[in-house]
Amino acid sequence: MVPLSYYLMLSAVMFFLGVLGVMLRRNAIIIFMSLELMFNAANLAFVAFALYYHSLSGQIFVFFVMTVAAAEVAVGLALIVAIFRTKHSINVDQLSSLKG
Amino acid sequence: MAAGPFNATMILAILPQIGLLALGVLVSILDLLWKENQKRNLGWLTASGLALIMVLAGVFTAPAAQPVLVFGGMLRHDWLSFVFQMIFLFGAALTALFAMDSEPLSRKGEAYMLLVAATLGMTLMASAADLIMLFLAIEMTSIPLYILAGFIVGDNKSTESGFKYLLFGATTSAVMLYGFSLLYGFAGTTQIYQLAGILQQGQFSTFTLIAVLMLVLVGFSFKVSAVPFHFWAPDVYEGSPTPIAGFLSTASKAAGFAVLMRFLLVVFPMTEHYWIPLLAVISTATMIVGNTLALAQKNVKRLLAYSSIAQAGYMLIGVASVSPLGITASVFYLTAYLVTNLAAFGVVTIVGRSTGSDELSAYAGLSRRAPGLAMVFLVALLSLGGIPPFGGFVGKILVFAAAINSNLIWLAVLGILNSIIALYYYLMVLKVVYLYRSEDENRPLAIPRSWAIAMGLCVVGILLLGTVFGPWYQWSVTAASSLF
Amino acid sequence: MLLEYLPILILMILALVLSILVIVLGTIFGPHRPTPRKGLPYESGMTPFGPGTRRVSVRYYLVAVLFILFDVEVVFFLPWAVVFRKLGVFGLIEMLVFIGILLVGYVYAWKKGALEWE
Repeated sequence: MVPLSYYLMLSAVMFFLGVLGVMLRRNAIIIFMSLELMFNAANLAFVAFALYYHSLSGQIFVFFVMTVAAAEVAVGLALIVAIFRTKHSINVDQLSSLKG
Repeated sequence: MAAGPFNATMILAILPQIGLLALGVLVSILDLLWKENQKRNLGWLTASGLALIMVLAGVFTAPAAQPVLVFGGMLRHDWLSFVFQMIFLFGAALTALFAMDSEPLSRKGEAYMLLVAATLGMTLMASAADLIMLFLAIEMTSIPLYILAGFIVGDNKSTESGFKYLLFGATTSAVMLYGFSLLYGFAGTTQIYQLAGILQQGQFSTFTLIAVLMLVLVGFSFKVSAVPFHFWAPDVYEGSPTPIAGFLSTASKAAGFAVLMRFLLVVFPMTEHYWIPLLAVISTATMIVGNTLALAQKNVKRLLAYSSIAQAGYMLIGVASVSPLGITASVFYLTAYLVTNLAAFGVVTIVGRSTGSDELSAYAGLSRRAPGLAMVFLVALLSLGGIPPFGGFVGKILVFAAAINSNLIWLAVLGILNSIIALYYYLMVLKVVYLYRSEDENRPLAIPRSWAIAMGLCVVGILLLGTVFGPWYQWSVTAASSLF
Repeated sequence: MLLEYLPILILMILALVLSILVIVLGTIFGPHRPTPRKGLPYESGMTPFGPGTRRVSVRYYLVAVLFILFDVEVVFFLPWAVVFRKLGVFGLIEMLVFIGILLVGYVYAWKKGALEWE
């Protein structure tokens, strides 16, 4: 058995990498990948705790998070395509027509 | 977590949700069957369907005195969730009416379907009693709203606002989810009503609990657009279709408050001493940032966006008071704010459609072009500013009274000072509407029937909440009592 | 017990050593006579045409997204199938409702032309 703390460390590292990616990267697709990393960090923690407590609800949670993340990315990609059609760029710094 | 015996009360408890699901399916099927020129009627269908669900829910779903957990502890059927569900349904019905003649949305069946789906998510948010359900409900509310905010595909501003909303929303919900995972890790259960007990027994340091609370609060603050997670609000409101902006600023915010109240009071009562000051500070910052930035706005949609940030600050005062009176005040305030802000955004929709601009200068001479409309705007803005005899006034009095009652006198004083600042920019707008002249004064504005009905309902609501507030106050008291 | 993972570590080390060994032996003992023809990227024996990083038509996007959405929903069938007998008729009805909603979405996407190629 791998001790619980290993999973949690990995999940924390993944989460912070995700946060850094969201804050520092400017490419919309990469930002989405970082977001996925954050969601999956939480998923890893859920599965690890589920194993630790022998309780299923953590694993069920992961199922739902996966579907929700898929839906979110689908909408996000649709919006990226729509933005790319008018701006020909997916750099988030270019999204500045709303200011004030 | 046994599946539990299945019985009729379970079905009755989720009657509004079943109704919303059926309505959403119906709308999408009719969208396929109806011809282009019939599709405007989808708005009538959605609005009347939502009204019907309200009536049915009022007759069959009214909760018993004792709250019950249904569906294996996923949902809690109590007065708080019931009152909030009614608020969401009413807000969605009004939004459907406003969407009917608003150009980008009017003939698009999917807009109504998404509106209904978001409302379904909100009703679940209000009654969720399990972390899984709560997360799903929040996402179910957010994802349709992302699409609705970016609904005008060819328009730079709209897609951009949808994208910004999604980016902020997804990031904050990922942080919140991480908080949920740690909560589950501490307690070994996802049931909200069991969490508190287990957290209290387990010897967790206050520091860890506060850290988890902060993670979770990130998600909720985004939903209610509290400082420091308010950046998205003005941009998103400005870019999205105006009826949707109205919906975002009212029903979506109310849903955020429903979750915030339940979560703080039920899961974290033992760390009260830490989060009450925190919430008070957030509330102060939210009021000050919202009001000071609103002062400088020349675009009415942005002005209303900042004003709605500030309004969230007043409602947070009620939550920070952590007393039955405080929660009552917040619920009442939310109700008054819903009708008021929907009316204000309704006026912006109409002016925006006929003048093609949301700038303050487009409102010059409005009182001569459309006296009725200007009157609605007057009522809405004065109610937002907290002037009697309108609903906003009673809401503010209750909120400040709750703060004083809980020994947060400084917060009440700051709130009152902020209301005075807010009054200044509301009156500035009214000055333009009533005193400034413009060249096309003699061209009256056309107001379709759907908008007239929606705005009539809003004004009646504002006046009722401001004068005959007894029954509504009683409602809010009952709602608040189910949390204590 | 980390010791249980020792075989995996040995496997990884073996794989690494073997692959390095093969490459090193190849470069030392093998003949090395490059021609421009040999330097071309390998495309199943054909002469390569067009740039290697061609853009994929955006039409694939819609199909891909629809695929992801319907594919991910299948995840819920697995746990349901495991406890199918325990849940009984109620579980069956709930799953039918779930499939029904998915079906409405599918028909909607179809009728709106999301599956048309042109």
